Amino acid sequence: MPESTPITPPPFPPNYNQSHEEPLTDAERAPIRGFSGTIEALLRRPRGLLNALAQEEGNGMLVILVLAASACALLYGLVVGAFSGGVQYYAAPLKIAGGLLVSAALCLPSLYVFGCLSGSTARIRDAVRMLAGTLALALILLFSFAPVAWVFSQSTNSVGVMGLFHVVFWLVAISFGGRFLLRGMRRAGARSEGAFYVWLVLFVLVSLQMATALRPIVGTAPMWLPKEKKFFMAHWAASFEEPTKPGETRPQQ
Amino acid sequence: MVNRTTTDLGEIPMLLRGDPVQLRGWLADFRARRGLVCVAVIVAGAALYGAAMGCWRAPEQALYTAIKFPLVLLATTVGNALLNGVLAPLLGLQINFRQSTLAILMSQTIAVTILAAFSPLVFFTVWNLPPMATPEARAGAFAFLQVTQVLAIAFAGTTANVHLFRLLRSWGSSASVARNVLVAWLAGNLLLGTQLTWILRPFFGSPHLAVQFLRADALRGNFFESVAYSITYLFR
Repeated sequence: MPESTPITPPPFPPNYNQSHEEPLTDAERAPIRGFSGTIEALLRRPRGLLNALAQEEGNGMLVILVLAASACALLYGLVVGAFSGGVQYYAAPLKIAGGLLVSAALCLPSLYVFGCLSGSTARIRDAVRMLAGTLALALILLFSFAPVAWVFSQSTNSVGVMGLFHVVFWLVAISFGGRFLLRGMRRAGARSEGAFYVWLVLFVLVSLQMATALRPIVGTAPMWLPKEKKFFMAHWAASFEEPTKPGETRPQQ
Repeated sequence: MVNRTTTDLGEIPMLLRGDPVQLRGWLADFRARRGLVCVAVIVAGAALYGAAMGCWRAPEQALYTAIKFPLVLLATTVGNALLNGVLAPLLGLQINFRQSTLAILMSQTIAVTILAAFSPLVFFTVWNLPPMATPEARAGAFAFLQVTQVLAIAFAGTTANVHLFRLLRSWGSSASVARNVLVAWLAGNLLLGTQLTWILRPFFGSPHLAVQFLRADALRGNFFESVAYSITYLFR
């Protein structure tokens, strides 16, 4: 067996694991107060919010972000439910808000690990706060699509087409939310972004599968939750095969 | 230098970040408590992932896989410790037995932590699959789950080995020496690991066979024989 060799590791470089971000401006350093202040900071000065989230006051902001995300999801769900009406007026909002929060919880451990693999020094607490900011930003944006979604939901009978619109709106919204996450992880010292793009794809897949597991959300069904397990691609294909709302026909050309 | 005030479990994120300077410091300052934490992480993380893997077949299978998966990882590390310790200096890397064993333990810890983080997603995937005994499951769901597992395990294993490679290089070896040592270690671990996996089968379970901790013919045949048989069957 080889002899033991004493090893003295070299000291860390002085800037080791420091953030690569530019220093905050005075405007970004301005204190963030209350519900509207937090939302305003999320939209207009995300670096300032990320800085505040990393401090002790971040707990209060976390609650605000989760509340904002939930409220926006519920309101957007109302518009989704308006397509079919009836029980969907309350089922769709609850399923969308609950499903997104559960999806986020399922993906949180992998977000934290991906963060560490990218060199970020974010703790699990920081990952939770960044994820809440990501969700809040995405859902505020999704909510701002609500009037557009409502107009389309009133002018089409196709469950598949309407579902596709919602998915496209969700993809646009989460891509903006992802920018907040990337910024936060860079601030926490992440050296590469590839892992976060992978994570975002993973999160989108989980959220789409969650929507399938909680179906119906756009259309209607005799039961609150499905008995049959389905992959979301298979469910979409089936939705396009069944082209209209129950009891309605295709519009004439 | 590694912060002494951090708890040993709190050092896992540092392992995941994979900075070779920090990893070297961590290994140089290795204490028994750290080793125990690594083993505990491997046992808990692999058990969680194993349970997710086995729960599609039956709850008992989840329990059995949760016991067997960590066992395979730890037995592979222990079983190949001597071989790995001897191979490293033979291939030009001047590290001692303790260092080689701890480096492999560290890379196992990294891989298992990644797998543990994926386990909620695997549970979610299984929850969305039709029951194993149904024709739909036999048609595509089993293949889907297998591919998912392969991707997750491949990602975790690759990441852990990239970290290990960086560490080997930081020990003053050239890229080719570090690569040779890594390939030799991987080959040895693959050889022992696959056979242990074969002996301790089933991990997923099969709808046609009873749920068992070990198959009655556990020690009959080997993994490579089985693969060779499958290949010849395909081309017959």
